[in-house]
Amino acid sequence: MLLEVLQGTEAGGFILIQDSVNYCGRHLLKSCINTALKREEVVHVLGFEVSQEELNDGLDRTSAQRLHFHNAYSDPLGWTGNSPFTVHQFTLEDIGTLLKQTPQAKAVTLVIDSLSWILRHHDPAAICQKLQALKKGGVVRAVIGLLHSDLHQRGTVGSICHLATSVITVAPGTRGLGAVAKITRRTKSGKLMQDEEIFSINEDLTVTIQSKRSHPGSTPMNTDESEVDPTANLTFNLRLSDTQREAKEKLPLPFVFSKEKKSALLHPGTGSGRILYEPDANDDYDQEDPDDDLDV
Amino acid sequence: MFAELNSILNTSPDNFKAGEFILVSDKQTDASFLIHHFLSFYLRVGCKVCLLGLVQSFSHYSAISQRLGVSLAQAREKGQLVFIEGLKESLGVLLQGESSKGTRAVDFLRDPSSGLQGLYDFVRDNVRLAVGGSGEEWGPPVLLVDDLSVVLSLGVSVGAALDFSHYCRATVCSELQGSMVMLVRCEAEEEESDDERSEWLLRGLIHQCSLTLQVQGLPTGYCRDIHGQVRWITLSVWKRGQCDRWPTQKKLFQYKVHDKGASFFARGTFSAVL
Repeated sequence: MLLEVLQGTEAGGFILIQDSVNYCGRHLLKSCINTALKREEVVHVLGFEVSQEELNDGLDRTSAQRLHFHNAYSDPLGWTGNSPFTVHQFTLEDIGTLLKQTPQAKAVTLVIDSLSWILRHHDPAAICQKLQALKKGGVVRAVIGLLHSDLHQRGTVGSICHLATSVITVAPGTRGLGAVAKITRRTKSGKLMQDEEIFSINEDLTVTIQSKRSHPGSTPMNTDESEVDPTANLTFNLRLSDTQREAKEKLPLPFVFSKEKKSALLHPGTGSGRILYEPDANDDYDQEDPDDDLDV
Repeated sequence: MFAELNSILNTSPDNFKAGEFILVSDKQTDASFLIHHFLSFYLRVGCKVCLLGLVQSFSHYSAISQRLGVSLAQAREKGQLVFIEGLKESLGVLLQGESSKGTRAVDFLRDPSSGLQGLYDFVRDNVRLAVGGSGEEWGPPVLLVDDLSVVLSLGVSVGAALDFSHYCRATVCSELQGSMVMLVRCEAEEEESDDERSEWLLRGLIHQCSLTLQVQGLPTGYCRDIHGQVRWITLSVWKRGQCDRWPTQKKLFQYKVHDKGASFFARGTFSAVL
């Protein structure tokens, strides 16, 4: 699903890439930019976090004229007084002015690197409104944003995720297998699809999917070996025939005090042993039966 | 300059990467020995160094650098070292309270909500002066900050501190192709747990930097022979020709600080332990 999202051709889409300190999502963002450039789209980048050289490094050179980098990195707050683009200019009008630089473009993709910078200086609710307006407004065909999820409160991150049509959360993979991407995708009909894939990014910024994990965390048990019957192939017989099994089940267990045993003990049958007792001179023979008071 | 650390970081006086933002963070221990390492390293290499000392005086750095074989007083006289004495500047503001005295650098002490723009302007002017100045040819400029988290306890917000480090990086690393080393100290967890501002600051800085050295005490407690461990994390700085499918590398080393340096070794291999 990751490749489908990156190819993402539906209009009004908002792809959000969420990363953390453990894994930088900027490579995936550059991969998105490269894919958009290869699709002959015009890409406008609002670069707050990295310089133009660092962002352009690795991108497709042949489509460089379709990439417009708006430098909000060298002076995002207007401290020097002559800033090309500041964070306070993140409004619909100013973005519209930027996009007018390429009026003949049919499909414009707006890339925001990163949303965390803007969220630090603006009210999250206002940013959500602007993003929604950008999505619906028709000025741009798609918006791709990078968000550092560990720099904001969970509520803020949740609100931005809610606006997105696709959310890709990247994290380092285990066992050196590449990185893990958790993808959540909302189609226009409202259907929600989720997937988890292990991917890696090549030098030319193309993404290779290494494996899919549809049930994260569980490894499928290999039950290809059937159970071996231990009573087969022996020199002695460990099996029981049906009559033998019946006789075995009928046998009463030794210490179970069943009715038959009780009557056999209390009423000894003929021919069973008798005890003859001859009392000595010193014996104190009491004729009474000491078990008389037992109610058996 | 610690030779072992140089080999771990793959740098040497003849070959070091410019344009790097190195973040040094510590928790439950003191990582300022790394600041002394970088200070003596860059001075030895011949770079123009600007040291923003917010927590210690010049004589403190001078005394320690003497043991590492570098004379700060001489470097200052030659013009290779610019020392911004944060403690002295702040005295003027805190004791006399006069607004005209003192530079704009410590404006944030008078009004913490105004942010660190004054401090940035001061640093930028000094660093730009280093590059454009006449006289001897020095290498790329280097900015050392010791330490940034102290401004949080002076009332400055985390956002303002992150803005300051962003601007420093934009000027020193990207525009002037120099390097920057910043020290950030984190609060220990058993203290007020609702004050997580230093954690936010650390995370924000990790997103900005290219190399993080996280120093912490041993998880098992105090040990006489091993002072702590350093986790070295190289974050993804995508350079052409570097086909790493694993952009973030993490390595762990343990260290011990001596009188004249520090030794680093892989976990569990210290001679006293083996």
